[in-house]
Amino acid sequence: MNTYNMVKQEFIKKWITTLHMLDSSVDHPTNVTERKNAIKLSSDLAIAAARSGATVWSRAIISRTGNKTTNKPVARRILKKARNRMKNRCTTVRRNGSLKAKIRMRKRTELLKSLVPGGESINNKDYLIRETLDYIVYLRAQVDVMRSVAAVDLVIGDLQNVPRNK
Amino acid sequence: MSNRRSRQSSNAPRISDDQMIDLVGKLRHLLPEISERRRSDKVSASKVLQETCNYIRKLHREVDNLSDRLSQLLDSVDEDSHEAAVIRSLLM
Repeated sequence: MNTYNMVKQEFIKKWITTLHMLDSSVDHPTNVTERKNAIKLSSDLAIAAARSGATVWSRAIISRTGNKTTNKPVARRILKKARNRMKNRCTTVRRNGSLKAKIRMRKRTELLKSLVPGGESINNKDYLIRETLDYIVYLRAQVDVMRSVAAVDLVIGDLQNVPRNK
Repeated sequence: MSNRRSRQSSNAPRISDDQMIDLVGKLRHLLPEISERRRSDKVSASKVLQETCNYIRKLHREVDNLSDRLSQLLDSVDEDSHEAAVIRSLLM
């Protein structure tokens, strides 16, 4: 089994947990929007948990989720595990270039930092790139798995047309 | 390579050439647009950053849309119904 499949497996495992977690801690969502938010929240928390909070992006997701749900003890538990893996890198590299190019780079770097959770707190470019690559892999796994589950919709649509004992 | 020994932290981070080559190599596998272009050294750091940002935004949108679809799907499914069991078995 290759690494990406392992990532997806891990995400699925965590997603089931987070779904149950939110289910028990939040009042049952009454409308579709609340349900959507709960699904999205559980899904985001799941990729972070799958990463065991070993990266800046995963810790950022966990801490921002901790504010949203009443289930803070669980978030705290995941964070505790993550705190032990904190790493600090202070090296950086200088490079020559035109002013325009520098400004363009700076702008796009700022944009990237805003897209990767916790990116604003990363000052080292090398570290930011590593976090980005890592985050993208887990984002893709999240999308792939959710897409597979949503595809069940098509199958179920057919099943509902078949009369059944209820 | 010898640049990595410097220990300055900076608020305006810049990438070295070999870091960029490394990054492009890795992103090539992840970014659909760049991998189609097949140019090894000619992709600028700036372009790579842009493509990366676009890709992440696209993935965020997909997560959002899929959350929508899943919530609608579950909305039409009873907790103890056969359909719910199918979903559960899929996730297990």
